[in-house]
Amino acid sequence: MTIPPWLDDFLWTYGNLVHALGVNGLLALSMYVVLAVGQLSLGQAAFMGLGAYSSVLMTQQLGLPFWAVLPLSVLAPVVFALVIGLPTLRLSGVYLAIATIGLGEVLRAVYLNVDLFGGALGLSGIPERADNTMIYGLLLAAILALWLVGRSGIGRAMEAMREDETAAAVMGVNLLRYKMGALVASAALAGLAGCLNAHVSSFIGPGEYGFEPAVTILSYALLGGIGTPIASVVGAFILTLLPELLRELSDLRLVLNGVIIVVAVLFLPGGVLPFRLRRRAA
Amino acid sequence: MTNLLEVSGLTRKFAGLVAVDNLDMQVAAGGIHAVIGPNGAGKTTLFNLISGLLPPTSGRIILAGQDVTRLPAHRRAALGVARTFQNIRIFGAMTVLENVLTGLHTTARATLPEVIFRLPRFRRQERDAVAQAMAALDLVGLRDQANSRAASLSYGDARRLEIARAMAARPRLLLLDEPAAGLNPAETTRLADLVRTIRSAGTTVLLVEHDMGFVMDISEDVTVLSFGRRIFGGPPLAVRQDPAVIEAYLGHKVAAKLAAGATTGVRGA
Repeated sequence: MTIPPWLDDFLWTYGNLVHALGVNGLLALSMYVVLAVGQLSLGQAAFMGLGAYSSVLMTQQLGLPFWAVLPLSVLAPVVFALVIGLPTLRLSGVYLAIATIGLGEVLRAVYLNVDLFGGALGLSGIPERADNTMIYGLLLAAILALWLVGRSGIGRAMEAMREDETAAAVMGVNLLRYKMGALVASAALAGLAGCLNAHVSSFIGPGEYGFEPAVTILSYALLGGIGTPIASVVGAFILTLLPELLRELSDLRLVLNGVIIVVAVLFLPGGVLPFRLRRRAA
Repeated sequence: MTNLLEVSGLTRKFAGLVAVDNLDMQVAAGGIHAVIGPNGAGKTTLFNLISGLLPPTSGRIILAGQDVTRLPAHRRAALGVARTFQNIRIFGAMTVLENVLTGLHTTARATLPEVIFRLPRFRRQERDAVAQAMAALDLVGLRDQANSRAASLSYGDARRLEIARAMAARPRLLLLDEPAAGLNPAETTRLADLVRTIRSAGTTVLLVEHDMGFVMDISEDVTVLSFGRRIFGGPPLAVRQDPAVIEAYLGHKVAAKLAAGATTGVRGA
């Protein structure tokens, strides 16, 4: 397959941005899954970091091929999701959010201080094993799967819990099981995003998976909306493109970026796409 | 007659307050049973204990011979316990039909792969669920509103939607928490007919209600609670004459006057 010259130029200039759009779309979906059952997690960046570090170690230390590394990259984040979720999801309230912030900070300290993870310098020289086909293929597959699940009895139960947990429990919804399932799916998606991102950017470091990126990922879903999976992805696209589009403004860029987000949240409380999944008309 | 529900020694304390106090109660299978009592008597707490939203401090709850005391709410739903709430709790952003479909959650068997790949079992399950949900909407007369947003329903319709949602999976025991609250007399009459239809379809009804006309009209058995204790249990006609009940509702001075025959024409409550 030959790539036309204009596309080649475009990818040469904006390759990183194209990767980032797809990866951030996956992260937005990972946030969406948790918010869709009415929970708040701030551990998406930490799960992403676990996927990134574990996959790079598999590539560099164990020499595993990428077709094995990519699926295995969900393992570490899923295990941590279970460890964090089992005690906190039994409680109602913000315990999951607090525990996931803690997870991110603990892991950052571990990456910084354990030689295996490269300390403050991070891990570099990562071979470029992932590409846009994999990133966007997974993104599309994830959107489709979440959309199909959303338009089923499972999706109804998720929306019911988000609206009124007590009423949902009385309808027979096993709240703990759904919350755990959502958190595990969310951790797996973030882990895949971390693995893909690490294998297109040649370097990963402990600063990329702390509290600030966690809040950025949350804002993807809040800006886009959580009524449909696609809405959160649109939110990620907007927030990833915005700084690039405002590049001309140099110093004012971050200010305007912030103003746009604040205005959007104030005037579009349901997100840019506040629609909900349509299910079954009679 | 066999009992569908047996509650024995049931106690629930909130800090210093004893909301339900060593309660014994039996609900006959296939009947309409009312729980009445002054405000704060523990009626809603009793419903929360029976539906599994609250764990009891002590005591036992037996449903159709099975001890369900330690089961969480979703397990009891699967065993056929359904309920409505005093302050209507429908899912406002969903359509009327989707609300009723959530009531069929316990009937779903399709696994995640079957859902994602839209395999035959999932498709059949959804089709059956819609048919069953529409039947429940027929029962309460809301079929025409199936695709309306639930939040847009009138108050009376929202109450009926909540009953349809609870009835969708054909529960064994339906708990109605003040179903007539806020209804006008015509709506109350329709509600009484609906409750009788539900009972004749095989669901046992246990209800909490303040509208005494409604209670006397439809129930076969009445339990009166006061400060968490059972002060009366028996047929509705005997309730009005019971001195303990009159005292609980009207205070001991009025009760004493009534007993002395000083006042006439005072109705039950």
